[in-house]
Amino acid sequence: MDDLLTVSGKKSKKTAKQWIQSYDGQKAITSIVFLLIPVALLILFTFVPAANMVVYSFQKRSQLGTDIEWVGLDNYKTIFSDSSYLMTFKNSIYYLIGSFIQQALALLVASVLCSRLRCKNFFKGVLFFPYLMNGVAVSLIFLNFFKNGDGVVSPQGTLNSILSVFGVEPYTWLGAETANFCLVFVSLWRYIGFDILMYIGAIQSINTDVYEAAELDGANSWQRFRYIVFPSIKSIIALQCILAVNGAISVFETPYIITGGKNGTTTFVIKTIETAFTYDKIGLASAMAMVLLSITIVVTIIQKTVFKEET
Amino acid sequence: MKIKKIVSMLFALTMVTGCMASFTSCGGDEEKTGSSSTASNNSSNADESKDDGNSEEKTDGNDFGGATLKVLTHRTDRIEDGSLKEVTKEFEEKYNCKVEYQGFTDYASDVSTMMSTDDYGDVLMIPDTVKVKDLGTYFEPLGTYEEMDAKYNWANQKMYDDTVYGVAIGGSIAGGLCYNKATWEEAGITTLPKTEEEFIECLEKIRDNTDAIPYYTNFKDTWALAQWTSLVNSASGNSNYTNELLAEKKDVFAEDSAHYKVFKLMYDVFSDPTLIEVDPNTTDWEGSKAAIGSGTIATMCMGSWAVTQFQEVAETNGDDPANIGYMPCPISVNGVQYAESAPDYNMGINIHSEQKDLGKLYIEWYVEDSNIAYNEGYVQTVKGSEMPEYLEAFENVELFVSDAAPEDLVGVWDQIDQESEVGFYLQDSANFKVRLCEAAFRGEGDEGFKKIADEINKKWNATRDSVLG
Repeated sequence: MDDLLTVSGKKSKKTAKQWIQSYDGQKAITSIVFLLIPVALLILFTFVPAANMVVYSFQKRSQLGTDIEWVGLDNYKTIFSDSSYLMTFKNSIYYLIGSFIQQALALLVASVLCSRLRCKNFFKGVLFFPYLMNGVAVSLIFLNFFKNGDGVVSPQGTLNSILSVFGVEPYTWLGAETANFCLVFVSLWRYIGFDILMYIGAIQSINTDVYEAAELDGANSWQRFRYIVFPSIKSIIALQCILAVNGAISVFETPYIITGGKNGTTTFVIKTIETAFTYDKIGLASAMAMVLLSITIVVTIIQKTVFKEET
Repeated sequence: MKIKKIVSMLFALTMVTGCMASFTSCGGDEEKTGSSSTASNNSSNADESKDDGNSEEKTDGNDFGGATLKVLTHRTDRIEDGSLKEVTKEFEEKYNCKVEYQGFTDYASDVSTMMSTDDYGDVLMIPDTVKVKDLGTYFEPLGTYEEMDAKYNWANQKMYDDTVYGVAIGGSIAGGLCYNKATWEEAGITTLPKTEEEFIECLEKIRDNTDAIPYYTNFKDTWALAQWTSLVNSASGNSNYTNELLAEKKDVFAEDSAHYKVFKLMYDVFSDPTLIEVDPNTTDWEGSKAAIGSGTIATMCMGSWAVTQFQEVAETNGDDPANIGYMPCPISVNGVQYAESAPDYNMGINIHSEQKDLGKLYIEWYVEDSNIAYNEGYVQTVKGSEMPEYLEAFENVELFVSDAAPEDLVGVWDQIDQESEVGFYLQDSANFKVRLCEAAFRGEGDEGFKKIADEINKKWNATRDSVLG
């Protein structure tokens, strides 16, 4: 880099025309031309709306942007004083606990898949497949899975059908008592494939010599996991857990499609969307989005500082 | 060099886009002139037909000597399939005249433009752009309110200073419940319920005597819960109900209010798990359409718009569409059942028309003898006339039209509704309708209802006081 600078410094007396024809000039122009469209799109569709959102969060405004009124911090005051807004974070706890279980399961499956096993790649494919599926499709599948059909208007759901083979009475899974657990299960089912793949990658990066040495010393598989695998992938596990926090506070499509946020399954994002588009309070909804954004930023900063030394 | 090239190319690009923009705007202009020329064609046609009318001798009684009556209508579909012409033959023969129909797809705006001249047919649907106080400048008086109200429904719709200028061509019912007649009969129900208790008794009879689901909630689709809100005005039996609630600052969920009665009825039905489907969380709207036709669902609360949909599905599935019935809100005020209804267009007579007598006869014939409204499934304008088959249950029900909001309250109801986040017709997951259902499914009983009703009152009143000041 320094070389380039001095070279171009020396030749600064070149005319613009010559510079353009030079290698450096060509490189710069090509890069700019290639970057122009993506950067323009990024600015137009990400940064401008985001900046607008910051402004909107201090206003009282409707979707059409008529009757704009500056209200200062009132929107933020509403969010933090009216419990109905922050209460929706309560449901994130379900997803948070769910994602810790998900990490543990993924780690278990990953270590099994890293041992000597037939059709390894087949299992990897099967486990990763749900992650590739569209969230709407997944939600519709599970809507039919958890259904307690009456046999009149709708047929019995998959889960109840299977359980009835064992003589279990049909149960309304998406009722108020179990709806949140079902939804957490869906998101676990969907995202676990990705975690498994991450752990497999991490485990495979461990030098095989270490295993061989351990085996010669007579370590069993639990000891190998506890003293070799686990310390080597500790940082990945911690990273995944922090990412899980971000995932848990921004859950949206699964509950939105399966239960529509009913039976106490509303999340903060659903509440934000309803505030914006059902009650036409764009200002308040922007403030809610800002709250979510700041939480995400805080979590990300924690993640960066914690893992700074290790990476 | 290359920079220059790029710059010049950019210039060229902007030039091209600029030109394109101006071209498209040119195109727009052209279209506009095009449409205005057709409009002038129309009016010249109108001139001709009017001249015809003038040249003919007008005779007394039933013979109009082949005079032409020009009728402007929004029903272009009925002109295209020839059915309107077919029906009108009877009128033409009776009075020895000719009726000429002119249809407009964009009726309200086209006819409003035409009304800036004197030529806007002889008989026409009164566009809502005409302000009530201007009716007299454009339309011939048809009678006093007292006279018209004795004969016709919705007589006050196009009225100013007690003079009526228009007669509705028909109307529709705002809210009610769809039911399967065969299933209700099978359960041994002979008269439709008039009160909340009777309604629940009927559902219990259906539960005991048939295999059908007495009431299907469609709880997964929140809009289906909002259908209950459309029963509120009917349940109040008061054409000024919502305006009074605002003006007199009453609680919306006061214990005798129509809102309270309607949603309490919903709550009571939903509280009994034997009266509704097994799993309200996974309901299937499309499936329910077929099921009410086949009779496996007995009842659903839906606007009258749903009836045609249910009938269509029943027809494709080989069920009898005549089984789909529509019943009025099972809530009575002092023993009388009411139903809110809304008129379609009102027909009026051009004040500049040469054929005013024939026009009056035409309107009379249209609403009294032609049966057009009946055949189209509308509520007829003449009081006490036969209802379309699916509305036969409304024959002894008092129809009324809700009053418009007074000037100082225009839009206030919706504003409070939205700002307070009560949302009577809205569909968010924290909506009171959803919470009432959830409480009902959990079996929280009267206390659960009272708690939510109180909360809504509090929210509503706080916002109302801040909006109305």
